[in-house]
Amino acid sequence: MNQNPYQPINGEIVEIIDESPTIKTFVVVPEGDFKFATGQFVELTLPGVGEAPFTPSSSPAETKKMDITIMKAGRVTGLLHECRGGQKVGIRGPFGNGYPIDDFVGKEVYVVGGGVGLAPIRSLFLTLVDRVKDFKAVVCRFGARTPEDFIYKDTLFGPWQKIKGVDMKLTVDKANGGWKGPIGVVTTILEAGDVNAKNAIAVVCGPPIMMKFTTLKLLELGFKDKNIYLSMEKNMSCGIGKCGHCMIGKYYVCQDGPVFTYEQIKNYPNIWD
Amino acid sequence: MKTIFISKLKPFLDAVAEQMALYIPKKAGQYYVYSKYESSTEVEFNSIRACTPVKEFLLPVRELAATFPESFEPKDVKPFAVFGLKDCDLRSIEVLDKVFAEEEFKDPFYIKRRENMFIIASDCLEAGESCFCNIVDGRPFPQQGFDLNVSKVKEGFVVEAGSQKGEDFIEKHAELFSEVTDAMLAERDENRAAVQKQLEQKNAELKFGIPLKEIVESSEDSEVYDVEMKNCIECQACTRICPTCHCFYLFDAKQKDYFAKMKMWDSCMRMAYAAVAGGANPRKVLGDRYKHRLMHKFVYFLDRYGIDMCVGCGRCVDGDAGGIDLREVLRKLGEEFKEKDEKKAKVKK
Repeated sequence: MNQNPYQPINGEIVEIIDESPTIKTFVVVPEGDFKFATGQFVELTLPGVGEAPFTPSSSPAETKKMDITIMKAGRVTGLLHECRGGQKVGIRGPFGNGYPIDDFVGKEVYVVGGGVGLAPIRSLFLTLVDRVKDFKAVVCRFGARTPEDFIYKDTLFGPWQKIKGVDMKLTVDKANGGWKGPIGVVTTILEAGDVNAKNAIAVVCGPPIMMKFTTLKLLELGFKDKNIYLSMEKNMSCGIGKCGHCMIGKYYVCQDGPVFTYEQIKNYPNIWD
Repeated sequence: MKTIFISKLKPFLDAVAEQMALYIPKKAGQYYVYSKYESSTEVEFNSIRACTPVKEFLLPVRELAATFPESFEPKDVKPFAVFGLKDCDLRSIEVLDKVFAEEEFKDPFYIKRRENMFIIASDCLEAGESCFCNIVDGRPFPQQGFDLNVSKVKEGFVVEAGSQKGEDFIEKHAELFSEVTDAMLAERDENRAAVQKQLEQKNAELKFGIPLKEIVESSEDSEVYDVEMKNCIECQACTRICPTCHCFYLFDAKQKDYFAKMKMWDSCMRMAYAAVAGGANPRKVLGDRYKHRLMHKFVYFLDRYGIDMCVGCGRCVDGDAGGIDLREVLRKLGEEFKEKDEKKAKVKK
């Protein structure tokens, strides 16, 4: 392990893919192999500008490069969006705990994602479909503001829908020309018959408000607190459980998360804010 | 461990200063502040802890943490000594050690300084105006975590070694010291008991007979936090002056021919402290931030590391520009807890 945990390793952005009007995927090549577990995050530094936490959206099986999908939301992400291929970056991590995939074996996995929340979910999805036979079912319910706001459109609207063992449904808050799917926020397409809620695993990732209402809906459907996995977005700065910014109660999201079960954090205040 | 006697402090401190940089507390107004010892410095035995927190020696307000594109490893630190640290100070180092030196990820900058710090602790001569260490299991005299400890007695000073480094120092400077007598040790114990008694008397109102953890943990819905924060001017002094607060943030800066990642003290009392770029902020409300701070001190840290994060030094009381008194807050929370408890008991009946 790197002796100085604040020191990033060097990397380079080799490709930038436009995903939606506000979201781009940056293909980053780190110096040397870079291993991570799906759901873990990295701190990406734009040298001299700043650092921010992101969960890679590529499969952990790929160690030579990784995809980082980033929404323009603040200063660092805004400047990242202005970068071009060849930009040098720094990478620290991976940090925290990812999804405990082995615990999902033999069960129905209900994956609910919204907006840029599909970024960590893409990495999880690729991991799940790699061994899709290990699971009773992989049921995906994804939402976006408009069809245009969906990220990974090339795969999402085509090949992913056809994978055997995967049941996928998409919805948009607001439709425009040509959309034939359901209209409404993602909770409107979560239905009692989708999975057997008592034993299924749910994985939720999206904006805070979506996470909140999805969790409430899942509880209503009969999911157990301990079976709802939430990928928490907090202000992870140091990544190593020291600086304090990302705390939820006694947990450091950067070390104990970012993936938590609802059971772990439900009693702490303001988890959705 | 060796315990010996020395009649005057100066030759002892001179011997330390000959080997390494030495910092000692000096009176500045009504408080003690650390400054570098020179042989011309007038030596003062600080009666209570200094105003400045010991963390300043271990975690600078701002430091270089990484560079880009060439990487950077921490520089070596020259040995240094700090004189006059009290039990609360040593316990605050214990807290910082847990976070920066004992976790899976260690902070190499902290460790370099910590390993090269020679700790000369001392007994308190009185209970300071804002001291409440006895409420959080502290004592007015060091219990552990020192290299040497100095206790004032009538004829001079009793010096006790608390580590191999301390033993070695005594051995090396044997000519400075003489034998300690039983009478001196008895006097030391009496002095200690007297200050302990002072503390107990002045903080009697804070003894609830219930662990503070339980009181604070059950205060989730208490209005005390919002009410207390009415006078808070968000100066963050409470967190800067607190010897166990260790929040920091990393920020990136452009230098002339390289990029730097800097580490700088931060405060959980700051409005945007926990905010994310998307706009979410779990603690927008000032009262919620104060509650989180107290929960961290009395509940979360204990859950995680098994020791209290408040050492009862009272610095936050001295430093608070809005006049917020942690002792008063704890007293109110304690009363609320008792009321709730009594109500519960009545319902049971």
